[in-house]
Amino acid sequence: MGPEAITGDWAAAMQKAQAELLRQWTELGNAWTKAGAAAGAAAGAAPSAASGGPAGGADDIARHFLRQCEQYLGVSRSLWELLGRASSSTDNEQRARVFTDGLGGLQQQFANLWAATPFGAASVAATSPFNPGAAAAAVPGMANFSMPGFGMPGFGAPGVGAPAFGLPGFGMPGIGMAGFGAPGQAASAFNMPALGPTRESQESMQRLAQLGMRCAQAQLQVSGQWNDIIGKALRELGERIAPRLKSGGAPASMKEVYDLWVDSAESVYAQAARGAAFVQAQAELTNSLSQLRSGQRELLEEWAKQFDLPTRAELNSIHQQLRELKAALRR
Amino acid sequence: MSSPLEELGELQGKLTQSLQALQAASEVTFGCSEKDAVYSEDKLTLYRYRPLAASAKLPPIMIVYALVNRPYMMDLQPDRSLIRRLLELGLDIYLIDWGYPDGADRYLDLNDYINGYIDRCLSEVLREHQLPSATLLGVCQGGTFSLCYTALHPERVRNLITMVTPVDFQTPDNLLSRWVQSIDVDALVAAHGVVPGDVLNAAYVSLMPFRLLQQKYVDLLDTTGSQAQADNFMRMEKWIFDSPDQAGAAFREFSNWFYKENRLLKGTLSIGGQPVDLRRITQPVLNIYGKQDHLVPPAASTAMQSLVGNSDYLALGLDVGHIGMYVSGRVQRELPQSIAGWLQRR
Repeated sequence: MGPEAITGDWAAAMQKAQAELLRQWTELGNAWTKAGAAAGAAAGAAPSAASGGPAGGADDIARHFLRQCEQYLGVSRSLWELLGRASSSTDNEQRARVFTDGLGGLQQQFANLWAATPFGAASVAATSPFNPGAAAAAVPGMANFSMPGFGMPGFGAPGVGAPAFGLPGFGMPGIGMAGFGAPGQAASAFNMPALGPTRESQESMQRLAQLGMRCAQAQLQVSGQWNDIIGKALRELGERIAPRLKSGGAPASMKEVYDLWVDSAESVYAQAARGAAFVQAQAELTNSLSQLRSGQRELLEEWAKQFDLPTRAELNSIHQQLRELKAALRR
Repeated sequence: MSSPLEELGELQGKLTQSLQALQAASEVTFGCSEKDAVYSEDKLTLYRYRPLAASAKLPPIMIVYALVNRPYMMDLQPDRSLIRRLLELGLDIYLIDWGYPDGADRYLDLNDYINGYIDRCLSEVLREHQLPSATLLGVCQGGTFSLCYTALHPERVRNLITMVTPVDFQTPDNLLSRWVQSIDVDALVAAHGVVPGDVLNAAYVSLMPFRLLQQKYVDLLDTTGSQAQADNFMRMEKWIFDSPDQAGAAFREFSNWFYKENRLLKGTLSIGGQPVDLRRITQPVLNIYGKQDHLVPPAASTAMQSLVGNSDYLALGLDVGHIGMYVSGRVQRELPQSIAGWLQRR
């Protein structure tokens, strides 16, 4: 099979496949929405575990399913095109060489795929598995960029009377956020001595900003680990396929190439995930996210207290008292 | 090499079939055996399953499931139900359903679960049967709890059965444990209060991310042509991600004491101020583990033998992984008989 057999037709076929996926997904989503609305009306309550519906609803499952299918098409296409180019050579040695050399060019694409995948971004490549979801809202540089602490609900909202980052009514300092993308400048800005009546609040904000930077740095470390894993996985894939190309054979289908890719990636990941560098990077991201989350909550509570709104600390105090009362009753 | 266009065409066909089957599978249910709530407290409910056969006249079994997943895996569907098979053999089965902890449960600790909830549920079983002791069947983390409970209250446990139960939390092949060693669990719990089930889901799928986040769904194209397969897939999918939030204090103690400090293995564990000495376990012990288990590696479980003070210890290794222990057809055929036979001989 030569490359001409796959290049032009692929684009059209992919477009058609994507359009069909979208159509099916829309139909499925509509059906599920109707079914969910009917069931909700009948039960008068939100779906629960007892309802028998899947976690997050069938639409979540279907969404994930379709995303994987789309990624499968994308990954397989790149690999398949490379295989096509390699197979077009009549010299077996060259077939293998073209393939293994070409794999290096796919590294960024694969790394991006994993960093961008909705599952991966939420739980593996872009965040800590022990703090899923936090990074997407917390780590600068990510697609859904939202600064920790500075995008909190209510801050800067009309009617509250507080500008987004100035917040004089709440004693918040006017920390300039422009430098956040430049760690050196930001670091010095966040280390400025806090002065005046609002110094305690200033320090809180500075601590939070520093935690945000720590998260960002941890994120970079984790991303670097993932990039290494993807690179090694591609080399592993080359080592699995090249001998077959060299002997005149080739994988029989896109699915076979895809499965070989997954086997290669898992094999490399299993080693890397046990390594000190990966463990340390992941732990640092998790631990910094935990502290960031706590810092965000403290700031929110300070704000809530000014309106005499209930806070988590207050509720925790009540839970503790209840616990002690129950223990006393049992005695 | 096949034509990519042909393969795409096939893919489209499979996709249509799979989506239709998945759509219909949204109505799938789980939990196939009839049961009655006999005790409840806070979020937990103790169930007693209705008999399906004449009584084998053996002491009742109380199943202590893990906190980290839902116990309906033990009774998923008629052909995948360890509970159903045990009922068909005339055994009397109780099960603790821990429910879904929420923010009000953040201070529940291991003492509350082990010396509190488990003890009171067992009291209910013993009162109903007018017996001084019953059989405990602990599953995964629930097996660890059962070991602790039996060591603390040996007079109330006649036989102990543990399934996929970790005892040594630091075996070299335990990737999850390797990760946890560097995690600041105190900070994690402080940040969340009640640790979200999604945290656990993310950690588990991260153990094999390419397979569990991607390939599993791609493979659906080859397996969900039939409605039955789609139903099975959706039931499993539901169970895997239906992870209750974790009471913060209990999560912190379990992570720190068991995973990071390995106290159960080292004999340094105390619950509620009482030392947990596994040598006090002198009743018969059946320890069932999966030879392919990546969550609770075999060595993590079989370490039990050298710790319990009992010569009547049987380790039963099955050639399955962690989840296969609940759903494998072979396990469904063989394990219930093994359990019933082991109990009858004691």
